[in-house]
Amino acid sequence: MSGTTQKRTLTALKRFIVSKTAAMILLFILLSAAFAIISKGIFIKPKNLVNILSSMAISAFLTEGVALLMISGKLDLSTGASGTLCGMFLAYILRAGFPLIPALVVTIVLGAVIGFINALVVNSMDIAPFIATLATSSVMTGFIYLIANKKTIDVSNPVLKYYGKGMLFDYVPVSALVAFAAMVVIGIILHKTEFGRNIYLVGGNPTAAMLAGVNPKKMSYILFSTCGFFSALAGITLVSRLQSASITGISAQRFQGITAAVLGGISFGGGSGGMAGAFVGLLILSTFSNGLTVIGVSPHWQNVASGLLLLFALTLDVLNEKRITNTVA
Amino acid sequence: MSEYLEFQGISKAYPGVQALSDISFRAEAGRVLALLGENGAGKSTLLKILSGDIRPDAGGIVISGEEMSFPTPRDAILAGVSVIYQERQLVPLLSVMENIFPGALPKTALGIDKNRLRAEAKAVIGKFGLPIDPDEPVGRLSVAYQQMVEIMKAYTRNSRIIAFDEPTAPLTDTETDILFRLIGDLKAEGKIIIYVSHRMAEIFKITDDVVVLKDGKFVKAMRTQDTDERALIQAMVGRDIGDTYSNLSRNEEYGDVLLEVRGLCTDALDDVSFSLRRGEVLGLAGLVGAGRTEVVRAIFGADAIEAGEIIFEGKQVRFTEPRDAIRAGIALCPEDRKEQGLILSRSVRENVTMPVLSKLKKGLFNMFLDRDAENRLTQEVIDQFTIRTPSINKIARELSGGNQQKVILGRWTNEKVSTKLLILDEPTKGIDVATKAEIYQMVCDFAKAGFAVIFISSELTEVINVSDRIIVMHNGHITGEVMRQEATEENVLALAMLD
Ligand SMILES: Nc1ncnc2c1ncn2[C@@H]1O[C@H](COP(=O)(O)OP(=O)(O)OP(=O)(O)O)[C@@H](O)[C@H]1O
Ligand SMILES: [Mg+2]
Repeated sequence: MSGTTQKRTLTALKRFIVSKTAAMILLFILLSAAFAIISKGIFIKPKNLVNILSSMAISAFLTEGVALLMISGKLDLSTGASGTLCGMFLAYILRAGFPLIPALVVTIVLGAVIGFINALVVNSMDIAPFIATLATSSVMTGFIYLIANKKTIDVSNPVLKYYGKGMLFDYVPVSALVAFAAMVVIGIILHKTEFGRNIYLVGGNPTAAMLAGVNPKKMSYILFSTCGFFSALAGITLVSRLQSASITGISAQRFQGITAAVLGGISFGGGSGGMAGAFVGLLILSTFSNGLTVIGVSPHWQNVASGLLLLFALTLDVLNEKRITNTVA
Repeated sequence: MSEYLEFQGISKAYPGVQALSDISFRAEAGRVLALLGENGAGKSTLLKILSGDIRPDAGGIVISGEEMSFPTPRDAILAGVSVIYQERQLVPLLSVMENIFPGALPKTALGIDKNRLRAEAKAVIGKFGLPIDPDEPVGRLSVAYQQMVEIMKAYTRNSRIIAFDEPTAPLTDTETDILFRLIGDLKAEGKIIIYVSHRMAEIFKITDDVVVLKDGKFVKAMRTQDTDERALIQAMVGRDIGDTYSNLSRNEEYGDVLLEVRGLCTDALDDVSFSLRRGEVLGLAGLVGAGRTEVVRAIFGADAIEAGEIIFEGKQVRFTEPRDAIRAGIALCPEDRKEQGLILSRSVRENVTMPVLSKLKKGLFNMFLDRDAENRLTQEVIDQFTIRTPSINKIARELSGGNQQKVILGRWTNEKVSTKLLILDEPTKGIDVATKAEIYQMVCDFAKAGFAVIFISSELTEVINVSDRIIVMHNGHITGEVMRQEATEENVLALAMLD
């Protein structure tokens, strides 16, 4: 018995060594070392590490929603817009005198409803998710400009402030803690529950999954809504941190979820990857953008660099898919 | 001296399996050589080495005295080798003609010369005598015609060595006859032909030599005329399995009506009515496109129903999705394992347990999947069907074709699926002889336990011998019904062609 367990851990270990996750961890270490050297140590100062951690909260939420969708073989490009819209909405209703808890609940529900509408567009008109969500994204961006009127709306709420800027034990940003906890919960759902398994099955082969009693349409409604839910959380987190909502909102981070997921081994083909990988992808992404800032690269070049990083992730994904289809039995 | 192809000491290992070890034999020009063996014996692996798709760990290939090495598929094609794979390799969105002549498209100044391409494709299709439109996208053809396009593609390359890996698995008798006529022509032209199939009758019909593999090892080589079916099976399986059909222990007692279908119409079906009793095995026969698959898909809730009634266990039902049908106790084992059956990128375990996950749970509120129960169930399925896999966590894509099919069968027949009506659509496609016999017995046992089976197969002998009653279809409607005792290949075929 222990022999088989030992063998199992051995093969698991072997698989891990050749896996993409391992390669990405290596990339992460190399990146960190490079930044540490170039910045003459500033990069690894505790204060900066805390900075990285807090910057991860928003992209973690975005990654969580998008990763689930991607594993199921779908995609959402509207997370930036829906998160921004939700943040803006929260600021408005708080200003209008809504108590905090109901305001948060309504905002999160709004996010989920936006996701549901995305699913509706994708399913009822049978449009490719990336086109459908691109369209809904621009509709939402339009709305944001209409409501906001180019103004920034201040929000002052002690609870939100604690959530957005507070630290636990001086070093752990509260929002990042919440985001990581969500990641752990999602990881457990993916690997230990029937719902999680069904996400993989649908992503791997929707026809076969349907014939085995999983409803891919229903799954897509749930997962798009979940993605909207997490976009709302990302939007709320930004508002809490800045204590204001603006028209740009989280739109600068709109591709971070996808980049982190793809870097973490979640392929566009669906049916593979998981939260551990996504977390590593997230680490790389955050280290990368923080490192660039620390060593003084201008924001425009940072944009160029993040684009290149996404391109790199996509190339990896395409190469990997090719390798698999070439070895079809 | 005439041409020949020789494998010399070929070995190939995959993680956890020695797929081939030290295989040597020779195939002569102007003869058809049958490559036989159980599921997972290594036949496809050997052909993939021949086509340059994978590289052997050891050994080499010699063609007419010349040592060959095929680092890429292109090298093999240039050396005059064509391998027609078990799994189709066509590009579904491209037209038939573009698939037949990939890479060799005639060009004009403005690009591809469509007219010439069409004319050339028409000539080939004409030679095969098939009603296929050269402009049709391949993805829209039936599986049988897709397979024929695959064969045309190899044929037009004018190769000196042609290998077929289970070419008849998706074909019905009509197309099979066309293929055999063609293989006869190729043989007369002096080509070297290798032929893999699990259908024993075919082996005796068209092959001259036989090579048997078992567990990746060479067992024996002989002339087809010097052996018989029983001896061949014994060499493949390692024991005598006797006569498949007469040894079946069948169910004799029927219960009440389990399923009744009245006036079923869909966009592919026209007024289909029949009923099925508990304990009965009902065969559905017909040519490709007769509507057999459409009938069972409609019952299962996978296709939309336009009119008609379905009564299951005395209650009128109309399932809107397969999930409801499964809950009611119906299982459908679909015909195309790659498209509809398997999730290729997931493990054997996940593929087996997918319809019964709700019964494999534990913990607080039964929230979590019970991994141990999943493992046990998968192991039982592996044992029952002797699925050749080094582990329950192996990715389905890496199993041999027949073993993949067994995974799907195991998914729908294990103890956890409380199935009352089992629908098998081409269940023995790509399955070796010994396992076929086990599947037939399983069908009979299922009937004996008081359940019912709908059995679809394009192999006439099989439907006739396994089913208690056979319904024959043509063009979306039922053309007749025969009991097993009266059924012959002739009268079933006559009904299948009736309008
Ligand atoms: N890509 C792969 N990765 C890992 N193992 C593989 C791969 N391809 C084949 N195998 C293993 O090699 C063995 C031989 O497989 P092969 O496909 O050659 O069998 P086969 O004789 O063609 O069987 P069938 O009659 O079922 O088609 C099997 O155990 C299979 O699991
Ligand atoms: Mg094979």
